[in-house]
Amino acid sequence: MKRYILYRLLLVIPSLWAVFTFAFVLVRIVPGDPALAMLGDHASQEAVQELRIRMGLDRPLWQQYGAFLAELARGDLGRSLVTKRPIITDVAQVLPYTVELTFTGILLGVVLGVPLGVLSAVKRNSAFDHMARIVSLAGLSVPAFYLAILLLLVFSVSLGWFPVIGPVSDTGLKVRLHNLVLPGLSLGLMMTAYVMRMTRSTVLQVLTHDYVRSARAKGLAEMRVLRRHVLTNSLIPIVTLVGLHANYLVGGSVMTEIVFNRPGLGKLIVGAMFQRDYAVLQSLLVVYAVVVVFINLLTDLSYGIVDPRVRYE
Amino acid sequence: MRASARLTRWTGAFLAMLLMLAVGSPPTDAQTDQTLEVGLSLPDIGRLDPHRSSLTQDVAIVDAIFNGLVQFPVGTIDLNRIEPGLAERWEVSKDGKAWTFYLRKGVQFHHNYGELTSDDVVFSLEKAADPKRSAFSPNYRNLDRVEAVDRHTVRIHLKNPASQPDVLAMLVNYHGGHIVSKKAVSELGDKFLLNPVGTGPFAFKEYAPQRYVMLERHNRHFRGRPKIARIVYRYMPDLKSRQLAFERGELHVIEGLREQWWVDELKRKGDVVIDVVGPGEMRTLHFNMTRKPLDDLRVRQAIAYGISRREIIEFVGPAIAYPAYAPVPPGYLGSIHDASDTPRFSYDPSRAKRLLAEAGYPNGVDLGVVLITSVDPLRRPMEMITEQLRRIGITYTLQVLDHTSWHARIRLNASALVLFGAARFPTGDQYLSQFYHSRSIVGSPTAVTNFSHYGSVIPGVDHFIDAAKDEPDTQKQLKAWGQAQQKILVDLPAIPLYVLRLVLVRKPNVDLGYKPEATVALFYQFREFTAIK
Repeated sequence: MKRYILYRLLLVIPSLWAVFTFAFVLVRIVPGDPALAMLGDHASQEAVQELRIRMGLDRPLWQQYGAFLAELARGDLGRSLVTKRPIITDVAQVLPYTVELTFTGILLGVVLGVPLGVLSAVKRNSAFDHMARIVSLAGLSVPAFYLAILLLLVFSVSLGWFPVIGPVSDTGLKVRLHNLVLPGLSLGLMMTAYVMRMTRSTVLQVLTHDYVRSARAKGLAEMRVLRRHVLTNSLIPIVTLVGLHANYLVGGSVMTEIVFNRPGLGKLIVGAMFQRDYAVLQSLLVVYAVVVVFINLLTDLSYGIVDPRVRYE
Repeated sequence: MRASARLTRWTGAFLAMLLMLAVGSPPTDAQTDQTLEVGLSLPDIGRLDPHRSSLTQDVAIVDAIFNGLVQFPVGTIDLNRIEPGLAERWEVSKDGKAWTFYLRKGVQFHHNYGELTSDDVVFSLEKAADPKRSAFSPNYRNLDRVEAVDRHTVRIHLKNPASQPDVLAMLVNYHGGHIVSKKAVSELGDKFLLNPVGTGPFAFKEYAPQRYVMLERHNRHFRGRPKIARIVYRYMPDLKSRQLAFERGELHVIEGLREQWWVDELKRKGDVVIDVVGPGEMRTLHFNMTRKPLDDLRVRQAIAYGISRREIIEFVGPAIAYPAYAPVPPGYLGSIHDASDTPRFSYDPSRAKRLLAEAGYPNGVDLGVVLITSVDPLRRPMEMITEQLRRIGITYTLQVLDHTSWHARIRLNASALVLFGAARFPTGDQYLSQFYHSRSIVGSPTAVTNFSHYGSVIPGVDHFIDAAKDEPDTQKQLKAWGQAQQKILVDLPAIPLYVLRLVLVRKPNVDLGYKPEATVALFYQFREFTAIK
């Protein structure tokens, strides 16, 4: 197992290099100029060019590429072209929000989605099953920002249970949790829909296996059959789905972040895109790649926990 | 059955736990006395160095932090009413080239950076004029040098005599006119971008990326201790959540949507004061005259007669928009908007079709590709214009781009028509220079926003604009600007359409302390007398 982990971590290096190179090229292909974005639409071409020179954007591309690669090798993400702040500072401030939102969404999705999926499979073609499938289809179809606004309208405006934006200071645990409920619910309900459908589909398949019939025939309690024999053998596709969606949620929850006025990695990337802040974009894409690699590694390692027959070589 | 019941109970317990977190809602900051909560529409800050702040909502924050030697009376942008700011009074030499400003004594910078002296003013103006340290250096092209006569006296030497509006425009509380602390800039370097130090009623306190900027009152402000203790500017790009937070009372002030239906919706809900203020952004449709058939005056005139300003304004909202007829926006010094002989190009589709036929296009013409930004206040009117022009036989492919890409592409000559909205300093010079001088033609080394290539494809108005620049006699300056505008309306490189004003929204208990008619900060201006009742 340790050799496998080491091997996977070593593979990260060429993966990150590929991501960085791709990001470096991609941000420069898109029309738009960070100098013009910073100076405003009244700026003369002379002023824009002057700023480009000061930002080092007039240097040959290979020089810019080499300089940034050298910074990355030192563990330095560089500085924002717009604010001149170290990018690592901004990432460190927003990453906890992204992690807690992603984790909450996944936790909710698993805690609600798995039992509902099992129930739906066990009670196949019942009223509950039909209702659950309709609701989960709605969950898959409703755009994230729309669901977020609906939650605000109901729980914040109508019921007044939660604030729309919350206080400035959010360092206390209760305040952090309080501010997390609605956005977490917004993402979690979407995850629940995905997880529920996958669980139902997998469980239905496993329920047809002989060992399940044998377990029931032996007189085992239904809960024990479901937990020890059915769910255990259904988890691998569910774990895969959760891993894939975790990757998506890290950068893809930007609409939820915008509606709930939460900082996050996705919002940072989008903001940098609008301002054509090349330095931030390149660095964030590398950070994102690291996060994705880490999540994928965790997902792969969890297969061995879920299914003892899995071996790592 | 028992298994499913157990599963159901576990799931229900989890949901109940979530609901318990709703109990005991923590207090929101709008409930805290004397903290003004403001919702801005941008996702994050740009820069708070006033000489580099070009984003509209950085300007809004900078306005509360800094002062200029002179200022517009708060709530106006009338160049004829400029009043003392950090300077108590000023004198002009006989030759009009030396302007002496007498500073107020005892004005304190924020965060104990000491008293304002002439050294700070010299430093600030030199910084504003330096293209390496300022985005507004072109505005100081007539500045020769700045001299510290004594601790509280500054003398500004000009290269050429200039009119009072032109000189005071450099020094007013806007863009390069803001006075910064020399000591703070020298100590902080690049950190000053996000740690500004000024003399305004509010001092920078903290910044949380993507969340807020907080200002706190400057207890030693020279006009008196502000009534409000703190201002929190929240970055909330989603209109709906901004609006919901406002309705719920978590925000006192928000930037609104500049459309009538939104204003009407908010009015219906009550508990709101809506201020529709200037300066407006004038929308002008520029014709790329390097592309046929836009090099033909009759085609340009046909387009002008084919656009109905009334229809566009009815859609946007007559309370928020009004028609514009002159190349320099209404209300700007030198605009001929109200002159009786200003051609109006009123909607006349029959005349438009006749002009097209005369130009050799009796069955209409296709212009190719027209680019527009995805930003609604420009995209939606452009879609209306597209339909209006289709009625008279003019068609094109309308491509929608994200805002930054659009700005880049229109400067690369990639669009046959450019619908551009702009508010500039309220004199004729900036608008005429940036949109109609040949030096500003896009694609040239000195390019700004002359999308029509006016002055290159056909002779332009450079001589009028250059004559007005630095003309010390205001009447002669106004005459030159007037002549430039008349010629522009004859040559028609662009057609002015309408002005869109700002929509600002506040709670009734926010007492600004003045009546807002226009705002140089492009947002509410908060002063020491602003209070939350």
